[in-house]
Amino acid sequence: MSGLVREGWLGFREFVGTFGAFQMFFFRLLPYLPKALLRPRLIIEQIYSIGVLSLVLIMFGGFFVGMVLALQSYSTLVEFGSADSLGAFAAEALVRELGPVVASLLFAGRACSAVASEVGLMRATEQISALELMAVDPIEHIIVPRFIAGVISVPLLAAIFSTIGMLGAYLVGVHLLGVDSGAFWSNIQVRVDMYEDVASGILKSFVFGVSASFMAVFEGYYAAPTAAGVSQAATRTVVIGSVWILLIDFILTGFMLPGV
Amino acid sequence: MVKKVCDFWSDDAVSNLVEIKDVRFSRGSRMIFNGLNFSIPRGKITAILGPSGTGKTTLVKLITGQIRPDDGVILFEGRAVCPCSRQRLYEMRRQIGVLFQSGALLTNLDVFENVAFPLRQHTKLPERLIRQIVLMKLQSVGLRGAWEHMPSELSGGMARRVALARALVMDPKLIIYDEPFAGLDPISMGVIVQLIRETNDALGITSIVVTHDVAQTEILADQSVLLSEGVVVAAGTPAELCNDRSELVQQFMRGKSDGPVPFHFPGPGYVEHLRALASS
Ligand SMILES: Nc1ncnc2c1ncn2[C@@H]1O[C@H](COP(=O)(O)OP(=O)(O)OP(=O)(O)O)[C@@H](O)[C@H]1O
Ligand SMILES: [Mg+2]
Repeated sequence: MSGLVREGWLGFREFVGTFGAFQMFFFRLLPYLPKALLRPRLIIEQIYSIGVLSLVLIMFGGFFVGMVLALQSYSTLVEFGSADSLGAFAAEALVRELGPVVASLLFAGRACSAVASEVGLMRATEQISALELMAVDPIEHIIVPRFIAGVISVPLLAAIFSTIGMLGAYLVGVHLLGVDSGAFWSNIQVRVDMYEDVASGILKSFVFGVSASFMAVFEGYYAAPTAAGVSQAATRTVVIGSVWILLIDFILTGFMLPGV
Repeated sequence: MVKKVCDFWSDDAVSNLVEIKDVRFSRGSRMIFNGLNFSIPRGKITAILGPSGTGKTTLVKLITGQIRPDDGVILFEGRAVCPCSRQRLYEMRRQIGVLFQSGALLTNLDVFENVAFPLRQHTKLPERLIRQIVLMKLQSVGLRGAWEHMPSELSGGMARRVALARALVMDPKLIIYDEPFAGLDPISMGVIVQLIRETNDALGITSIVVTHDVAQTEILADQSVLLSEGVVVAAGTPAELCNDRSELVQQFMRGKSDGPVPFHFPGPGYVEHLRALASS
């Protein structure tokens, strides 16, 4: 029993220690941000390699999630005689919830794992030491551009996810299930609110972008310089990053939902 | 305490670029340096010799401020090297070129951009001038033709030659070569030896060559320092080292397996070890 308590205590201490390390690294990044934004070339390169190259996956994901959403909700809505509001239902679900969450989860799996293993491998092959010895700050040159690129990319990807998702819902709802096209779009226009829905979706995806990208650069930067260390960094990025996204989503949704 | 060490100032800075005073360093319980003392004279080539695993690469890391000695002080141009302030450390590193034992090229840039990298980061030279400097440095290591290759397309020896060009590109005050001869064929070896000598003399650079290649050291070095077991066991010109009476120095210079320097990493006796494994 005492062994179990000790294990628990050690685990708790490690958790607190990791949390402290997150904070320290985060505050180490902050002062670099303004300067990095003034020299956008590196950020643009990274937006290309982590954002643009995730685009196909995000569009594919959005399209199918939208189609499934329409299929699933149609039967329930028809029962209550409100099949016309299928569009509004799908749009709200996508913009508020599924767009930010699923896009960020896909982003964590596609891009953040790649960033973590890339940075970890740079550490393992002494490239980070080489930068330091050339008097180039690796945080400024490697870490910050990747972080900012992730933070910029996720809200945009989430928006694209939601848009394509609505297209998928439209295809299934209107062309397959026979919902009236005019009703589909006009209901979306009436029900989806700029502040309550769109702005909260953007805020969410921004927060998810910060946490997923942060996990990626943190794990990569502190990866053990071995093959196992690099692969572990990638795995931890995806696992911990996804758990964070879901956890933060719950908290944010609680705060944002009107009447809760 | 830390502040005092950082403000250390030496009067020998005129003749010695780097001074190492009483440095102690250990990794875990293993003592690597136990009171290391020597200095690197300006404008000369100093070879640092020592058996594998004595801590030559560790010494390079200490000199460049990547790690901090447990005790003692390292001076570069009379000022203490220690990670006191990042700015000061970087200011110093801009005057030092380092050839890594592994090359450590940036894998997302091609050969040309790797060599151009320090120039682009620290100077605002026009593109035309950067191109001239880079091609000149690549020419001197014989790899101008490979300027468009990616590091993954180079052999180990080629990558180290590119890394050498990169270390030279800023015309630093001090160049540290960590094992510059490992993995080179005899022809490149001759060229690199000559290159190290010429850059040292023509540009008035100070060079530190870390190696265990005794034959090349005899041709190249003005001064050699032999490390073993955490201390300097002999220092002087290569000729002096060759004629040194000490058994340890003779063993190293002649490459004999039997002598005071153990070939084996410290551990339990072989027979004991086998027995212990068998009984467990
Ligand atoms: N990161 C590390 N953690 C723990 N011990 C280390 C580490 N790096 C090196 N060592 C130990 O320090 C000692 C010196 O290593 P170092 O790399 O400086 O040797 P070296 O003289 O450069 O050897 P070689 O000629 O083979 O390159 C070795 O015995 C090694 O076991
Ligand atoms: Mg070494």
